[in-house]
Amino acid sequence: MPAHFIHETDFREFLKSLIASKPVIGPVVEPKSTGDKFIFDDVTSAEQLRLDYDVSLVPPKAVFFPPVQKLLEFGPNGVKSCINPREQVLLGVHFYDVKAFDQLDKLFNDKFPDNNYLANRRATTVIASSVQTVSKHAFWGSFGKDVKAKGHDGFLTKVQGGYVYETFSQKGEALLKHGKFGNASTDQVSAAKRENDAAMDKCQEKVTFTPAEISTKTRASFSNNEMWKELSKDCFSCGSCNIVCPTCYCFDVQDKWGLDQVSGERYRTWDACLTEDFAKVSLGGAGGHENFREAGAQRFRHRAMRKLTYLNEKLGGPACIGCGRCTSACVPNIANPVKIINRIMKG
Amino acid sequence: MSNCGNGCSCNDSAIDNVFLPREAEILRAEQVTASEKHFTLKMKDGKGMDFQPGQIAEVGVFGYGEIPLGFASSPTRTHSFDLVVRTVGRVSTAINKLEKGQSLWVRGPLGSGFNLEEMRGHDVLIVAGGIGLCPTRSLIQYILDRRSEFGKFTLFFGARTPKDQLFTDDLVQWRKTKDVVEYHETVDKGDDSWKGNVGVITTLFAKTKISPDTRVVVCGPPVMYKFVIRELAKLGVPENHVYLDLERRMKCGIGKCGHCQINDKYVCVDGPVFTYSDIKHLEEAFA
Repeated sequence: MPAHFIHETDFREFLKSLIASKPVIGPVVEPKSTGDKFIFDDVTSAEQLRLDYDVSLVPPKAVFFPPVQKLLEFGPNGVKSCINPREQVLLGVHFYDVKAFDQLDKLFNDKFPDNNYLANRRATTVIASSVQTVSKHAFWGSFGKDVKAKGHDGFLTKVQGGYVYETFSQKGEALLKHGKFGNASTDQVSAAKRENDAAMDKCQEKVTFTPAEISTKTRASFSNNEMWKELSKDCFSCGSCNIVCPTCYCFDVQDKWGLDQVSGERYRTWDACLTEDFAKVSLGGAGGHENFREAGAQRFRHRAMRKLTYLNEKLGGPACIGCGRCTSACVPNIANPVKIINRIMKG
Repeated sequence: MSNCGNGCSCNDSAIDNVFLPREAEILRAEQVTASEKHFTLKMKDGKGMDFQPGQIAEVGVFGYGEIPLGFASSPTRTHSFDLVVRTVGRVSTAINKLEKGQSLWVRGPLGSGFNLEEMRGHDVLIVAGGIGLCPTRSLIQYILDRRSEFGKFTLFFGARTPKDQLFTDDLVQWRKTKDVVEYHETVDKGDDSWKGNVGVITTLFAKTKISPDTRVVVCGPPVMYKFVIRELAKLGVPENHVYLDLERRMKCGIGKCGHCQINDKYVCVDGPVFTYSDIKHLEEAFA
């Protein structure tokens, strides 16, 4: 993989040229925060981009799989598909979020390829960047670290004096023309490697078991009802842990009428398996309804199963990439996967 | 940020969209019980509906949404296909207001149906409770249309009351043709006109002899499965010869949205038909 180098002083010009060429999405300050919370959004000026962010509130999967996504438009004359992707660059994704893209790519491609996601994915150039600030609850340094990120087109690593830029595809290389890139020296490439390796040791939270050990023990703990009750007893069933998760991909599909009352749209929204009616089925007649995961403990367990064991075989590793977003989002402080894993392993 | 996140204008894109349904014309619509309506449909694009008994379709009305339904007719009857809809929620209520000449929008066939190859040459027993007769009617008609390919064919049907019985024209026929199908029926609660069996569906097992080599299909309300499975175990029917047609909230029908998940299985793509041996270890399979 070719490695390039751009000086710090030339980086701003590179961004300016890139932004002028096509839409660029990257980490920026969440406007309502006090400057310490970040989101992925359209970047309109080079100054806005914050490659020193720790973690984004909402994962960048939203770029391909928006929280609300129109699937179809219907009206008196029939129905139309709404797949119409925008050519764009997603810049500054941390490697753990790229690992989440790799998982979603597989899952949305599985059996029935879903182009509502995949077309956005294909139209986007993904440039990862090194983690300059490690977020408080991250544990990617220890958990699932053997699974490498693959789905990015380029990788920017901040080193002294500038950035080392490695390219992995033609899409990644196409960005070179926007800046004064030269070949990276061996020292610069080594410095970049050191930087990325060092980040792995900076997570405050750590998992000491292997994903395989955790998977086996988690599946075997399915019927440990007391443990699931204990772990979930403070759960509000709010689904925040699902909503901030970069690997959650459950959704609901709804129709809505337009103001004219003859046309409208079918759209999907992110959904959350922790919410009470997620697996509820109406039976009608005297049957009432059946809720296949009625108790909070069952739903809490389902999330743990999905993240730690159910999908491991299909994905080649756990469906949790260690970002710690759920830990931050959970008001009663029970969603932290590290705590859940440790409790499961204790038996 | 990207398509349709921010109100782009839709286009007739060449990119396949798995959510795009096809239009089906309602050839016949008949209210068959107080809450169930029987539709006969034909695809308007002329491409037909190439399904296997036990598969499902996502069926919808724009402005209301989609619901998963099992086909209620056999693919051997190629002119049209049948669906039965119980009025339960918003979508089914909207569907059941439609009449002949109007359209439904259909995605499918989806999911995996009954393993016909495994059943051919063997005795078959179908145990259908309530609306469970709808998806199994697909298999019933299939067997009746290819009767010589199967052994003894027994059908158990249980309904709440005589008024809740579905496909009453079929039932009249099945009661008369014992050499073709050995039909046994029951209701939970009879009325003055009812002369037949009263009791839960498992009481029908005493009415006939089921060989252990029978291939058995079970479809009904969630509570029914474990009791029928218990009877089948007593008869010595192997677990991999028991086919369970399950109902879950199959919202997308393509194994993504997560609502129909039983442990690690997606009912909409891995099922809705499973062998008992395939799912008996799944704690969430039985309510």
